[in-house]
Amino acid sequence: MNGLSNKSADPRECLSDSSQEIPPEPLYFRLGDYVAGAVTGVLTALAVRLIVGPQWDMVVAMLVGMGVGMLVHMTLLLLFIPLLGTFEVMMPLAMIGMYGGMLFGMRDSMQQAYVPMSTALEVGALFGLLVVFGIRWWDRQLRGVVFVRPEEGPGFP
Amino acid sequence: MPITAREKWDWLSLTYDLMTWGEDRRQRDKKRRLFAKVRGRTLLVAVGTGNDLKYLPADCNLIAIDISPRMIERARTKARRAAVNIRLVLMDAQRMAFADQTFDTVLTVCTFCSVPDPVQGLQEVYRVLKPGGQLLMFEHVRSRISPLAFFLDFMTFITRKFGPDLNRDTIGNVLQAGFRVQREENVYLDIVKTIEALK
Repeated sequence: MNGLSNKSADPRECLSDSSQEIPPEPLYFRLGDYVAGAVTGVLTALAVRLIVGPQWDMVVAMLVGMGVGMLVHMTLLLLFIPLLGTFEVMMPLAMIGMYGGMLFGMRDSMQQAYVPMSTALEVGALFGLLVVFGIRWWDRQLRGVVFVRPEEGPGFP
Repeated sequence: MPITAREKWDWLSLTYDLMTWGEDRRQRDKKRRLFAKVRGRTLLVAVGTGNDLKYLPADCNLIAIDISPRMIERARTKARRAAVNIRLVLMDAQRMAFADQTFDTVLTVCTFCSVPDPVQGLQEVYRVLKPGGQLLMFEHVRSRISPLAFFLDFMTFITRKFGPDLNRDTIGNVLQAGFRVQREENVYLDIVKTIEALK
């Protein structure tokens, strides 16, 4: 502990909210989130389309689609996490891979709902963008103070 | 054979800065705001590669510990660049060598997702804090929202082999260690949080 000064006041006074404003998120991250979501949606749709055929049982197709989607998104995490942040990438990509994979698998196993590859990829991109939009909206609702204990005892005015 | 926490973080030190480049930029303002509350004799538990040292106030008086010698080595380089009075020590958060009631503030950044026994680690933090001392935490926790929590549970099977757990109930652990939680704030969804508590 050599060289340490002890200049503390009552530490409880430090628990009050700081007046420092958080600046808005840079455009790089906002756009990056949507690009990562669209890429994951497209690649999940592509991978599922290449594996699941219109003769598949729907339940099996959904389970395989989910597994494929998870593999795709976990691979993409390695690319996007260093660029965009851990949880900000992990949560939307997980939803796109897991739930998107299930939905795409279900669609691709249905003869009557079968669409051309280009449409499947466009829907994949749209799904990715919508999930990112939804999670970003959800984050804005949840962000901020959850709990502050009423001030009590000596040290508080 | 499972590797020890020290071996795990020694290995992770090689890619840590690369993997956290985006996160570091994304969270820096929120960290700066939390770190501004640091007062008095301060302990930073799990300094890592020292990425967060640059967000500390210039007048901060700090001891930083980590379990990994390679992390400490990297942090040493960054500590020279940061204009803070800092001493780096190789130490396990679950068995700290400091005397009781040594610090006014204990700061943790994504630490108690990785400490093998988080309650034991937090009890150590409680022990080394002075009465009324503050615990400032920037941590990720298990979500209370089921679809997100399910995914965090699933991912933890994988991540705990080479990194942190993603599904810890850190607020529960803080309470279990004896602290009084004063403030909880969501930074991203209900997963990344700042937690402020008093001894």
